[in-house]
Amino acid sequence: MSETATASPAKKGKWTRRAFIGAGVVAGSALVVGVAVRPGNPIDRLNPLLASGENEQLLNAWVKVDADNIVTAVIPHVEMGQGVYTALAQMLADEMDADWNKVRILEAPADMQYVSDSIGRDFLFPNLDVPAIFEPTVAGGILELAQAMGLQFTGGSYSVRATGQRAMRTAGAAAREMLVAAAASEWQVPASEISTADSMIVHASSGRSEPFAKFALAAAEQRLPAKPTLKSPENYKIMGQPKARHDIPEKVDGSAVFGIDADVPGMKYAAVKAAPVVGAMVESIDASTAKTMPGVLQILNMGDFVAVVADGYWQAQQALNTIDTRYSKTDGDELDQDALFARYAAYLDEAGDEGGDMETESGDPAKSFAEAVTRVEAEYKVPFLAHATMEPMNCTAWVRDGKCDVWSSHQAPVNARQAAADAAGLAFEDVTYHNAYLGGGFGRRSESDNIIMATRIAKATGYPVKMIWSREEDTTQDHYRPSATSRFRGGLDQQGQAVSWSNIHTHLFDPKDAPTLPYYNIPNHRIRKVDVPTQLRFGPWRSVDHSQHGFFIESFVDEMAHAAGKDGYAFRRELLAGSPRHLKVLDTAAKISGWGTPLPEKHGRGIAFVPSFGSIVAQVAEVDMSGSRPKVKKVYVAADPGFVINPDGFIAQMESAIAYGLTAALYGEISIKDGRVQQSNFHDYPMLRINEMPEVEVALINGDHQRLGGGGEPGLPPIAPAVTNAIFAATGTRIRELPLSKHSFA
Amino acid sequence: MALARNIACLVILALTACSSDPAPGPTEQIIVREPGAAPVQPVAVIGDPASALVAEGKAVFANCSACHAVEQDAPNGAGPNLFGIFGKPAAEVSGFSYSDALQASGIIWTTAELDGYIANPTAKVPGTTMVSGAIEDAAKRAAVIAYLESSMAN
Repeated sequence: MSETATASPAKKGKWTRRAFIGAGVVAGSALVVGVAVRPGNPIDRLNPLLASGENEQLLNAWVKVDADNIVTAVIPHVEMGQGVYTALAQMLADEMDADWNKVRILEAPADMQYVSDSIGRDFLFPNLDVPAIFEPTVAGGILELAQAMGLQFTGGSYSVRATGQRAMRTAGAAAREMLVAAAASEWQVPASEISTADSMIVHASSGRSEPFAKFALAAAEQRLPAKPTLKSPENYKIMGQPKARHDIPEKVDGSAVFGIDADVPGMKYAAVKAAPVVGAMVESIDASTAKTMPGVLQILNMGDFVAVVADGYWQAQQALNTIDTRYSKTDGDELDQDALFARYAAYLDEAGDEGGDMETESGDPAKSFAEAVTRVEAEYKVPFLAHATMEPMNCTAWVRDGKCDVWSSHQAPVNARQAAADAAGLAFEDVTYHNAYLGGGFGRRSESDNIIMATRIAKATGYPVKMIWSREEDTTQDHYRPSATSRFRGGLDQQGQAVSWSNIHTHLFDPKDAPTLPYYNIPNHRIRKVDVPTQLRFGPWRSVDHSQHGFFIESFVDEMAHAAGKDGYAFRRELLAGSPRHLKVLDTAAKISGWGTPLPEKHGRGIAFVPSFGSIVAQVAEVDMSGSRPKVKKVYVAADPGFVINPDGFIAQMESAIAYGLTAALYGEISIKDGRVQQSNFHDYPMLRINEMPEVEVALINGDHQRLGGGGEPGLPPIAPAVTNAIFAATGTRIRELPLSKHSFA
Repeated sequence: MALARNIACLVILALTACSSDPAPGPTEQIIVREPGAAPVQPVAVIGDPASALVAEGKAVFANCSACHAVEQDAPNGAGPNLFGIFGKPAAEVSGFSYSDALQASGIIWTTAELDGYIANPTAKVPGTTMVSGAIEDAAKRAAVIAYLESSMAN
């Protein structure tokens, strides 16, 4: 069983301040600082994973300094193109006063000691306000809970705002203070006279200056600072700078290793096909042709899927394609997309004015609606969406001699390791999980279905097997962004002010605040949901529920503005009147876009405003409707994530969120017929082409350096409504169902 | 699990009936061969030896099919459609842009001429644009030619 299960509750009482911030004496001359060391931590297991030199022993750590004055930041998150290695290393290095050119980056191994307590805290106690993470009881308890949840997880736009802000900066500051204390002791001068810069320790009045490495060993023996002092923004040297991404060279020269690049001596290849209807089982297979085909080693009926193992991937896939498979019947065999939307409607009808699950309520929305001078009602729909990561799902596994090694690219390596252990029937400790770069995550790689399948195949064969999903398998066996229907009622008073807002929608996945709009001042509101059974698997999809509700809410706000006879920007300004930080973002987007200035004929501007994952983002889209299809010419973005750690990386995230979100708005649709996903590859699940990519202009706002927001997701929710609101401005046609490819604009 | 080597087809039916196991093993495992073992030769070829030769030729032609189609009315690829090639003069498939060298070669495609050409096209017709796809193995050439002939007959 996993370490989670073996951690006895009796240990809870042993948490101490000292233990929570750990430091390690290191053989050789390295200082290591960790912030989650617990008593009895079996650190030996980590050494082979992390130690890079013969004279170096590494404790569970976030940072180490070694003999050649290299500072290594140990990053407990995965790199999936979002630039997190670089941003987190910047946070640590800045607090440490490290020389950025001498900073190395290492991804933490898939071990429970690296689960992010910061993420655990935010997931479990989002409103908990503990000023320092060192408060031992609270932090310790959360770490245990986070471990139980296996949260060495990259997602929710959490890395910088949680791990970076709470752990990386603190570890860097603690390391710096320990180095200074060691130098002060050696030089017999007060620590207050010592300064640090560029990985050097300086005593200006005596002219002494030494590299960090000189005091690394002595520093490791210093008492750990209970609460290291973090810099204030005016002293940031590396944070806030557009440092070049650490992973650029290897991604340019092709040496970067992704999960699909795993190369294990003796490995064979597996192609797989799962039952096309969720819940169906393989009843029988006819492999008479497949077993005569070149390179074929094994044909496996795994019950829920069929696998062919061959010398090469192509051989495996070709042989798999010849296998005639019969599947069991399921209740979902007849389901199609129209019937599913009809089911949503029936559940919403049944919930009526009072049913469903209440999410948030204030005032008297029914009365205020009844008394409103102007009433607006609308229903919106969005489809299922696939993730379509460029690197298809894959996993390489080797189960032998009571051990298991697994290679893949996963957003939650600890979960992947546990999934492999369960699939192999082994203990967590007997599984080594090797994570590589993710060729796109978007939430898809937080699921472990691929890990489990590959481990089961490898267990059956006894030799290492690399399983690769075809693009068709990747498209039809996703964990989809839910399709959804959302209904609204809004009321306006004599002055055209919003006084009533009611919403009922299908499904609620995550985050829970996605359907709510606390930033808009609407005195009477009620938001409810109904859960509707669908057989498809749901999964997080970049920005998760904000991807639907951003479209729903910002479309309806626009409809209310129109009903009030007001401009969409002006109407939102009224709703944000009491929130200067929000208002600044909205105003900035309007200003840089030239809101209100004339546009060519059949062009329109649309505005949308969605705070999500701690960041506030407004977008203005400029759309050309003179052709038969919408052409998004330019998108203006104003974003306030509190403080932008790496402007270049943050802007890239805004741009890529627009590319991903615009793909979905224009084309994205997974539909069901006879219980099966109809789309299979990029011909019927198209991506935005480079000639369709709008120009993107981003204005960054540092609104509150103590409350950081995320970067990976918040750029996505506003793009669809900004575009559809622009289409309305240009044509008078209100889009209430995505994708836009369903609509004719001829 | 004990595995017999070089057994062409071994079916193991799993004894486990428990489908609630979170990670069930295979319900059916067909082991064609083990890694590293020589590919299994077909146990028997149904029908006469000539059809076996055609079948082998079809397999060899998979390499040629990157450039050449052989189905009637299929479009030319990087090389011309080879349907009905036997008995025809070289460089006469409509719609294909031949090299001057092949057009001037005066070849009539007999099995012998074709055999000589695909053994080493650039040696037989210097200047041909068929710079890849030579088949050194005489037995494989014979098989491909048998396959091409059979494709006309169908």
